Amino acid sequence: MDYASKKKMTRRQFIKGAAAAVTLPHLLSGETCFYGSLAHAAEESDLVIAKNGSASQLLQAAMAPLGGMGRFVKKGQRVVIKANIAWARTPDQACTNNPDLLAALIKMCYEAGAKRVAVWDHTCDNYQFCFSRSGLKETAQKAGADIFSGHGRNSYKQVEVQKGKKLKTVEILRDVLESDVFINFPIPKQHFATELTLGMKNLMGIVWDMEQLHKIGLHQCIADINTIRKTDLVVMDAIRILTTNGPKGPGKTEDIGEVIASTDIVAADAYAAAFFKHPKTGKPFKPEEIQFVKNAYDLGLGQINLSKVRVKKVTAA
Amino acid sequence: MKKAIPYLRRTIQTLSFFFLLYLILKTAFPLELKIPVDLYLRLDPFIGIITFLTKKEVILRMLPAFGVLLVVLIFGNFFCGWFCPMGATIDFFDRILFREKKWSKSFNDQSLRRLRYGIFMFSLVAGLMAFQVMYILDPISLITRTLIIAFYPPAIFVFNTLVPQAQNFLPQNSLIASTIPMPLFKVNLLIFLFFVVVLALGVVKKRFWCRYLCPLGTLFSIVSRFRILKRFVTEDCTHCLKCVKECPVGAIPETNPQEYRQQDCVSCFKCLECPPEAVSFHFGLPRWRTVNGVNLSRRYVLGSLAFGAVSALMIKANPLQSESGLKNNRLIRPPGSLPEEEFVSVCTGCGECLKVCPNNALQSTLLEAGLAGLYTPRLVPRIGYCEEFCNFCGRICPTEAIRPLPIEEKRLLQMGVAHIDKTRCIAWDTEKICLVCNEQCSYLAIVGDDKKRPIIKEEKCTGCGICENKCPVDGESAIIVYASGVQKKLKPEDVNNNKKEVPAGPAKKEKSS
Repeated sequence: MDYASKKKMTRRQFIKGAAAAVTLPHLLSGETCFYGSLAHAAEESDLVIAKNGSASQLLQAAMAPLGGMGRFVKKGQRVVIKANIAWARTPDQACTNNPDLLAALIKMCYEAGAKRVAVWDHTCDNYQFCFSRSGLKETAQKAGADIFSGHGRNSYKQVEVQKGKKLKTVEILRDVLESDVFINFPIPKQHFATELTLGMKNLMGIVWDMEQLHKIGLHQCIADINTIRKTDLVVMDAIRILTTNGPKGPGKTEDIGEVIASTDIVAADAYAAAFFKHPKTGKPFKPEEIQFVKNAYDLGLGQINLSKVRVKKVTAA
Repeated sequence: MKKAIPYLRRTIQTLSFFFLLYLILKTAFPLELKIPVDLYLRLDPFIGIITFLTKKEVILRMLPAFGVLLVVLIFGNFFCGWFCPMGATIDFFDRILFREKKWSKSFNDQSLRRLRYGIFMFSLVAGLMAFQVMYILDPISLITRTLIIAFYPPAIFVFNTLVPQAQNFLPQNSLIASTIPMPLFKVNLLIFLFFVVVLALGVVKKRFWCRYLCPLGTLFSIVSRFRILKRFVTEDCTHCLKCVKECPVGAIPETNPQEYRQQDCVSCFKCLECPPEAVSFHFGLPRWRTVNGVNLSRRYVLGSLAFGAVSALMIKANPLQSESGLKNNRLIRPPGSLPEEEFVSVCTGCGECLKVCPNNALQSTLLEAGLAGLYTPRLVPRIGYCEEFCNFCGRICPTEAIRPLPIEEKRLLQMGVAHIDKTRCIAWDTEKICLVCNEQCSYLAIVGDDKKRPIIKEEKCTGCGICENKCPVDGESAIIVYASGVQKKLKPEDVNNNKKEVPAGPAKKEKSS
């Protein structure tokens, strides 16, 4: 397993980087004092929710308590961002990521010293229409990133899902497996089949034959896929979310105006679930009500109970 | 100057062929080329005339074709010799692969030469009876179709195989060249074989196709009888018969090389390489008279006309064409297509729509639409579906068999309706959660019931086929689109989905046609 050997590498780098991340804010405290004492203690939280502000402000604010982008992206590393560009919809329909936020994220990666940033998605609609109508291709390329669609089978690599309960082998984007840093960049949406589309379900878009997962058992497969490559960072784009007719829309949208950054994908999903109301009870979703979040928790992918996670709420502006 | 002409001609032929190739390659996603990508087809007067006969009205897109006829009046059928990409291909293969056999005795092609006139008359009569199958012999349509259906997919296959190989030599991950989705077409082998046969006929005679079969060439021949640019031979002619041998279309009779059949001459100017320099071309008064013309006897003309008429009636009387209840309800036409009967009479089967379709959804028919509908496009959702914000096929159809509709209108056109096979559907048949069709549907036409099983809302379904395409059931889909007969407009959906439109949202960029 070449991936396992890489993981060892990243741990060492992680310690180095963490040390740097702790000291850096002190050196730059003149700039970061805006966030008060929060920014000084890097890595003091696992889940940060940023409110109020423009896309790039929200991202800056959300990343600071996690230790900044420098904690995740080291100089010369290759970064893969799994965005949600699955549908040929316009940005205001909230079916695809917010272009401004994507641009800010790419810029942040480059500022942290990334060698190359690649944005990937295996689109559901035709990739050319998805890329052009969502405006994300233009944005990503302007920000200096490469944007790729997983329409060709040769971009994938067959892997065994060792920790998977139902999914045994699956074809995953090779670039995701080989990347140094993997950032999951989902947009929460209502979803008829699985109730919600959150961070973990976004990883459906790194799989070659995603429709087949429905046959095996969708919820368990979503959790199983997340065991293959640990998401280093989840940046959840909840600036505007889709609350009906998901995931393709067009449906009702709601402006939440939040960006959630986390190292724990289950916790991020557990938090984002509460944006939506349960169709039967009318109350916000509990994390346990989303089957795949529950399954992922059972697999030990993260913490479903938000009281056990260090949550930080910050305002950007 | 005279020496340069053959080279000049060959260069122009090559350029013309590659220009067609370029246009075909540009018949793809952004479709932002200034020149119409179906330029060659629009310049084809045979298609122009036959569509005029079948549709009984002039198609605006085909008007330039009649301009070509005017130029033919001056230069003769220069098009065949200089610009026709089919002629260029045939010339090329006649030189390198299918060389003309040396026959022990010269073979008299007098009777063979009237074959194409027969085909032409057949086409005219059939066209008048609003039925057309002779488009399969139109050279421009033929070469476009062959390049798109038979040669484009293998080329993409080679590209997609070689690119990752080449990437291995580059430093890791420096560049990821995306592969191009490879289109698949069902009738490719048949079309390829037909093309090879056409080329191989060059063994019998140089440019066999152009001389004896091509209906466009026949039309040019009829018009270019009145050509103004004419060949003249002075008394210096030594009867060396060099020009007779050189002429690629056999327009100079062996017995009398000082004359020529002006209707057959493709103005290649090969006969200018005359040892005593007796040959020259200059403008002169048009005349109808010719030498060794084809013998179009009354019997032959009437026979061709009758054969055309009877064949047209026979094909029209096919159960697939009539209201017999045997209609092929899996025959979904592209969005904006004319009604079936009109569609098969106007569609030339050029394959441009097959090339432009971003999802490889359009396929050539073989006999699914009857003989009249040979090589016409149909939507095969299991291979590809109709993209919601795409109206490319209508925009490039040279004969407007697929009408050019604005995107908003095309989106609401019902080509067919999806139906669920509940015995095979994962959600209906098992307890698993699926609903791929529901999440993929662009028009909110598939809803789920309380047990998360899909239900179709017929009044919203356009028959785009994305559900059939993405259905995870192996083999044939568990949700199948059936044609809805005549395409009809659906009611626009409620746009009040988003009543509380928030000002912060970026301006809606709607891409119109």
